[in-house]
Amino acid sequence: MTELAGEIQKAAAQYPDSRSAVLPALRLAQEKHGGWLPPEALREVGDALGLTPAYCQAVASFYDMFQLQPVGRHLVEVCTNLSCALVGAQQVLEAFERELGIGPGETTEDGEFTLRAIECAGGCGKAVVVSVDEHYREPVRPEDVPEIVKELRGGD
Amino acid sequence: MGIDEITLAHADERDLTKLAEYEEIGGYKALAKARKLKPEKIVEELLASNLRGRGGAGFPMGRKASFLAKGTGKPTYLCVNADESEPGTFKDREIMLRNPHRLIEGCLITAHGIESEHVFIYLRGEYRDVFEVMRRALEDARKAKLLGDVTIVLHRGAGAYICGEESALLESLEGRRGQPRPRPPFPAVSGLYGSPTLINNVQTVATVPVVIEKGGEWYAKIGPEPSPGTVVFSLSGNVVRPGNYELELGTPLRELIFDLGGGIPDGRELKAIIPGGSSTTVMTPDQLDTNLDFNSVAEAGSQLGAAAVIVIDDRACMVQLALRSSQFYMHESCGKCTPCREGTRWMVQLLAKLEEGRADQHELDLLLSVCDRMLGKCLCALGDFAAGPVVEYATRFREEFQRHIDEGGCPFGGESSLEGIYAPVEQHAHAASAEVTA
Amino acid sequence: MSAPELVTVSVDGREVQVAPGTGLVETALAAGVEIPVFCYEPRLGPAVGACRMCLCEIEGMPKLQAACTLTATDGMVVHTAQTSEKAAEGQEATLEFILVNHPLDCPVCDKGGECPLQDLTFRWGPGNTRMTFPKRTYEKPIPVSPTIALDRERCILCYRCTRFSESVSEDGQLIARNRGAQSIIATFEDEPYRAPFSGNVIELCPVGALTSTQYRFEGRPWEIQNVPTVCGLCPVGCNIQATTREGKVKRILSRNHPEIDEGWLCDKGRFAFTHLYARDRIADPLLRVRRRGFEELSWDDALDAAEKLLREAEGRIVTALSGSETVEQAYALGRLLREGLGAHSALLPEETSPALDAFRLPLSAIRDAELVVVLGDEPPAERAPVVDLWLKAAERRGAGIERAGDALESCRRLADKRNVLGKRLRESDRAVLIWSGEEGAGGAHVAALARELGFGGKAGCGAFHLPSTPNGRGVADAWAAASDEEGPNPEPIGLLIVSGDEAASDPGVRALAEHAERVLVTSMFQGLAVGWADLVLPGTGYLERDGTYVNLEGRLQRLRRAVIPPAPDELAWVSKLAERFGVEVPPYASAVFAELSEKIHGGLAFGEVGEQAALGTRSEAPVAELPEKPEEGGDGLALVRYRALFSGPAVERVPELQFQRPEPEVELSAEDAEARGIASGETVTVSHDGTSLELRARISRELRKGVVRIAAEHAGELGGRVEVST
Ligand SMILES: Cc1cc2nc3c(=O)[nH]c(=O)nc-3n(C[C@H](O)[C@H](O)[C@H](O)COP(=O)(O)O)c2cc1C
Ligand code: SF4
Ligand code: FES
Repeated sequence: MTELAGEIQKAAAQYPDSRSAVLPALRLAQEKHGGWLPPEALREVGDALGLTPAYCQAVASFYDMFQLQPVGRHLVEVCTNLSCALVGAQQVLEAFERELGIGPGETTEDGEFTLRAIECAGGCGKAVVVSVDEHYREPVRPEDVPEIVKELRGGD
Repeated sequence: MGIDEITLAHADERDLTKLAEYEEIGGYKALAKARKLKPEKIVEELLASNLRGRGGAGFPMGRKASFLAKGTGKPTYLCVNADESEPGTFKDREIMLRNPHRLIEGCLITAHGIESEHVFIYLRGEYRDVFEVMRRALEDARKAKLLGDVTIVLHRGAGAYICGEESALLESLEGRRGQPRPRPPFPAVSGLYGSPTLINNVQTVATVPVVIEKGGEWYAKIGPEPSPGTVVFSLSGNVVRPGNYELELGTPLRELIFDLGGGIPDGRELKAIIPGGSSTTVMTPDQLDTNLDFNSVAEAGSQLGAAAVIVIDDRACMVQLALRSSQFYMHESCGKCTPCREGTRWMVQLLAKLEEGRADQHELDLLLSVCDRMLGKCLCALGDFAAGPVVEYATRFREEFQRHIDEGGCPFGGESSLEGIYAPVEQHAHAASAEVTA
Repeated sequence: MSAPELVTVSVDGREVQVAPGTGLVETALAAGVEIPVFCYEPRLGPAVGACRMCLCEIEGMPKLQAACTLTATDGMVVHTAQTSEKAAEGQEATLEFILVNHPLDCPVCDKGGECPLQDLTFRWGPGNTRMTFPKRTYEKPIPVSPTIALDRERCILCYRCTRFSESVSEDGQLIARNRGAQSIIATFEDEPYRAPFSGNVIELCPVGALTSTQYRFEGRPWEIQNVPTVCGLCPVGCNIQATTREGKVKRILSRNHPEIDEGWLCDKGRFAFTHLYARDRIADPLLRVRRRGFEELSWDDALDAAEKLLREAEGRIVTALSGSETVEQAYALGRLLREGLGAHSALLPEETSPALDAFRLPLSAIRDAELVVVLGDEPPAERAPVVDLWLKAAERRGAGIERAGDALESCRRLADKRNVLGKRLRESDRAVLIWSGEEGAGGAHVAALARELGFGGKAGCGAFHLPSTPNGRGVADAWAAASDEEGPNPEPIGLLIVSGDEAASDPGVRALAEHAERVLVTSMFQGLAVGWADLVLPGTGYLERDGTYVNLEGRLQRLRRAVIPPAPDELAWVSKLAERFGVEVPPYASAVFAELSEKIHGGLAFGEVGEQAALGTRSEAPVAELPEKPEEGGDGLALVRYRALFSGPAVERVPELQFQRPEPEVELSAEDAEARGIASGETVTVSHDGTSLELRARISRELRKGVVRIAAEHAGELGGRVEVST
C-alpha cells in the first residue's frame, strides 16, 4: 500500500462511511502532487476509497480549493468581496498584478506564483484580506504588496 | 440588565485556547453539571432559553432539538456548522480562534442533550488557522478525559459557500458534491447517513454552556423577549473601527456603527447598511435607529441574518455593489436547480450591462422580473439570497440605477470605491466557454 | 400483508384515493392531472427536485413546492399550474430559465418531435425569449463513447444520466463536473464511457443532449414506426421497440416490462442490431461446387439440393441447434426431420430443466428479496446483463447478496441442514437462488437445492438458472414436442444440419462436422458458413422473425417481425421441404404455434401471448437429486472461461461496439494476487501444462480465492487448472 493510501485509510477510519473521507483524501493527494490534482492523483484517491476516478473528479471540481490545473509554488489569493472591495481590494489585487506581471487566474512563467481573486475569506474586520499559501495576511494595503512578494521570492 | 460577552467572555484578558485558562474562568463546569442532568432536561433548558439559531435563520435551537426522531434504531448525529462563508461574517472564526473550548463544551453538552455520541464540526476549508487551534483544543480536551464516550471529528470543507446550507453540508460530509437535498425529509428525521441529525451554527452551540450554567430562564431575560441573548456582530466596510462586537440583541444600529464602530472614516457620508451579510437586504441611514434583533430588523424590511453589518459610504456605486454581490452568488450556486443556476448568471449579465450604461429601460424591469422568477422557487435559499437583495438595491436606489441608463454610463465616472472590482467567477480556467459575456 | 389504508388527496379540486406514500406526480396522474417533470424519474432513486418544472401550490405550505419530492398524505390539497396562478407562474419561470441557455437548434436535433422540452415549451412555454445575451457555448457534439454523442449546449442539467451511472448501473463513470452555471456532464479525462448499460442514458435524457451515434440524422419521428418485440441476444428477453424506417431497423428502444427489465437495456441489445446489415450477410443460398468454391443458386434449386442431401443421408442425420431459433422454427424443423425422416438425433445448445418451473419468479423478485445467493463464478452481467441490475437494486435495498463460488459444490453445501447460510435460506420468505456457474445441468441442480430448501411452498422464494442461449428452453421443448419417437445416434453421420449462427460458430459443432459426410448450414453470415458447408441457406435474425421465445424465467414472449429479411425466413422453406417428405407444416408462426400450443401451452392462442407477457404459474416436474461430488482435480487455480457479453457473431459485426469487447486480462482474487506478488495492471503469464498466455492482471473484489477468470476469447487453449506468475 502506498504512503498516500495509508494516510487516506487513516482519515477514512474517522467516519462511519469511508466515502466521507473524499475531501480529506483529495487534500492529502493535492499536497503530495505539488498543489494540484493531476489525473493520477484522482486515480490514487479513487483506488484508496473504492471510488471511480470520475467520481473523485466530480467532487474535486465542485470545490474551489481543489486545483485541476497546475499552480505556482506560492498561491496568492486576494479577497475581492464586498467588505474588502469597499476598502480597496481592487488596488491590492492590481498591486500584485504589477509586482508579479500576471493577471488573476494566471501563473508566473517561472511557476513561482499563482494569483487569484477569491470570495469573502471571513476576515472582513481586517480588510483587505490576502491569503498566501493558505495563511491569511490581514489587513493588506497596496503599499505592503512589494514587501510580501519580496519575502516570498526570498523566503524558503 | 447589562451582560458581559458570552461566547467571547474573557477572551481579551486571557489565552482561552489553553485548557487551564479556560477552566480558570469556570470552563467545563456547565458540562459537569449537564452530565448530571437527564438529556430531556437539557433540551427543556434550551427551550426555556429561547436561544435562536445564529447561522442566519434564527430558528429556536430547543425546538429543533425536540424534533429529532426517537427510537429509529439509528445513531443520532450533531453537526456543527462552522462553514462561515456569508460575505461579511467573521464571527465564528473569532469564537473558534479565541475560545475553542467554549464550542467544544457546547458540543459535548448538546450531544448529551440529544443522546448523541458522534459530533462533526464542518469547518470552512480556508480556515486553516482555526483548524490548528481547534485540533489542539480537541486534543487537550481528549487528554483531559472530557469527551467521555463522545467522538468529535473536525471535518474541513474545501471552498464552497453552499456547503453552509445544512443539507448541502450533509451531502459534503458524506463525501459528495455539496448540493442541497429536497426537504422533507428534514435532517432531524433523516440527515447524515439517513440518521436523525441536529445542525447548529458555531455561535449557537457555543452559547449552550451558559444556558446550562445559568439556566434557560436567566438567558431568556437578556435583551428583547422574542430574541434574547447576545450576538457577535461582525462590523465591516466603511467604518473606523471594524471588528467583532458581542452585544445584547436589540442594540441599536446607530450605537454599533457610530459609538462602537467610530462612524464613517474620511468624513464621508453613510449611504447604506447591509445588516446581516450580503444575503440580507440593504437598509438606509434613515433606519439607523432600528434595534438589531431578529424581529425589529424584520419589521424594518430586512433580516438580521448572521449579524454581519456591512457599512457602505457615499463613494460606492450601488449598481457595482449589486453586480459584485450577484457575481458571488453566481460563483457559489451549486448548479443543481434551474432558477438559481440560470438566474444568477442572467442577473450578472443584466447588471454588467447596466453598469456599463448599455442597458435599455426595459432591461431594468427585466432584471427585477428575473429576480422575481427566482424568489421562492429554488431548491434552497441561495437563490433567494441572490435575488432578494438586488430587488432592494434597485428599489431603494432606483434613481441611481436609472441614471446609469439615462446617462449611458456610471454616474460615478470611475470614482466609485468599487470601480473595476474583479470577481472570481471571471477567472474560471475550466469551462472557460461558460464565462459571462455581457 | 394487509392492504394499506388509502389516503385522500385533492388535486385541482378532484379527489383521488391512493396508497400513502404515493408520489404526488403519480397521485395527480391518478386524478387525471399531468404535472410536467424533467428531472423526476422514480427508477433513478429518490427525487432530487432539481429542475423545478413540477412546482405546485400545496395548501398549508407558504412556498411553491416541487411536487416530485412530495408524497401523498391524507387531506392534502394540491393546486397545479392548471388551477393555480402562482404555480403557473412558477412553471413558466422554470421553462424560461431552462431555455435561457438552450440553443433551440431543434430543426437539426435528433430529439426534435419526441422531445419533452419541446413539448412542454409548446404547451406552457413563453412565446418569445427575453434573453438577449450570448448563450453558453461548448464544443459540440463530443463523443462520450463510439455509441453516444454529447451536446452540452442542449443539456438542461437534470442529472438523470449521472444519477443512472451512479445509482442504477453503479459504474460511476458519467459525472457532473464543475459548479453552478459552469456545470457540465463529462467522463473522467474525456475517456469513453465504457460500461455495459451506458446506452440507457440516451433514453433517459429529456432533451437532445445525449444522442445515439448510430441514430444521428437517421430519421424524423414522423417517418418511423416503432415495432414492439423482444430482444433475442440473451436469455433475459428484455422488451424492446425496434424503430424502423424504409424497411430498415434504425435503433432499439426499451419497452419497460416492470417484471423483466424495468426499462433498462444492455448495450448489446441496444446497439448490436446493425449486424443485420453486416457486409457478409447472406441473401441467397450457396452451394459448394468442387474446386470453384461456392455458387449462388435460386431457391428452387436450393430446395432441390437440400432435398437431395436429406434423402442421401438415409436418416443418418444429426441436427445442431443454436437456441436462438424461435419456438416455431425449432418445432417445424423437428416435424420435418423427425416425422419426415426419422432423424431424431439433435445436438441441443444446452441442457434445460423443467424442474425449475416449480420455483418460478419474475426477475423483479430479485430486487424484492431479502437474501440472494449467486451460485457459481461466472459474472451474471456477462450472461444475463439485466440480472446484474436487479442484483444491484437488491443490494441498495439492503438485501444480503452472497456470492457462493463453485456452483455445484455450493449447492451441496447449502443443502446440508447444518449449513448456516442454508439455514438462513430455509427460514427466509424472500430468498432467491441464481445459478451463474458452468454450463450443463445447472438448472436441475439449482432446482434440486430449491426443493431441498422448501422454496416450492414459499411464493416469495425461487430459483433462476442463467442459460447461455436466448431461447434454449423454448427450442428444447419445441424439438421434444415435434415427435414422441426416439432414435439412435447415427454413426457415421450422413448429414449434419447446423441451424443458426451460434451453432455454426460453436467449436464442438465444427468438430462434429469433421465426422459428417455432408453439412447443411443455415446462417446469416458468409464468414460462418463457407469453408465447411456443402449447402448454405440464408438465416434470419430475431428482428426479422415472427414467433415466440421462452426466457430464463420460463416466460413465453412474442417476437414481432420489425423488418422483412433479405431472404425468406426459415419457416417458409422448412414448410416447403416438409411437403416433399409428406409432412404438413404451416409456413406461418401463428399456425405453427397454434399446433404446438395444443401440446404444451394448453391451447393458448398466439394473440394472447401479449405485448407484455405474463409469467406462467408454477408447475411441478420431477427433480433429480444432486449428483455425488466428483473428484476435485489437483492444485493450481481453477480457471473460469466465460463467454463475454460483448462477443459472438452479432457483436463482432458492429464496429461501434468493438471498444466494449473484453480486455485481454485475467481476474484474480486479492489473496491470490497478494500471494503471488501480482499488482493490478501488470502483465502475467497464465499457464496450464505446456500452453501458456500473457495477459494483464486485474484484481477483482468479487472473485473468491483459488479462482481466476478469463473471457473465452482471450483464454486460448487454456482449461482446467492454471498457474499465474509474473
Ligand atoms: C446558501 C446558504 C448558506 C448558509 N451558510 C451558513 C453558514 O456558513 N453558517 C451557518 O451557520 N449557517 C449557514 N446557513 C444556514 C444553515 O442552513 C442552517 O440554517 C444553520 O446552520 C442552522 O444553525 P442555527 O439554527 O444554529 O442557525 C446557510 C444557509 C444557506 C441557504
Ligand atoms: S438554489 Fe442554487 S444553490 Fe440552491 S440548490 Fe438551487 S442551484 Fe443549488
Ligand atoms: S421534476 Fe420536480 S424538480 Fe424536476
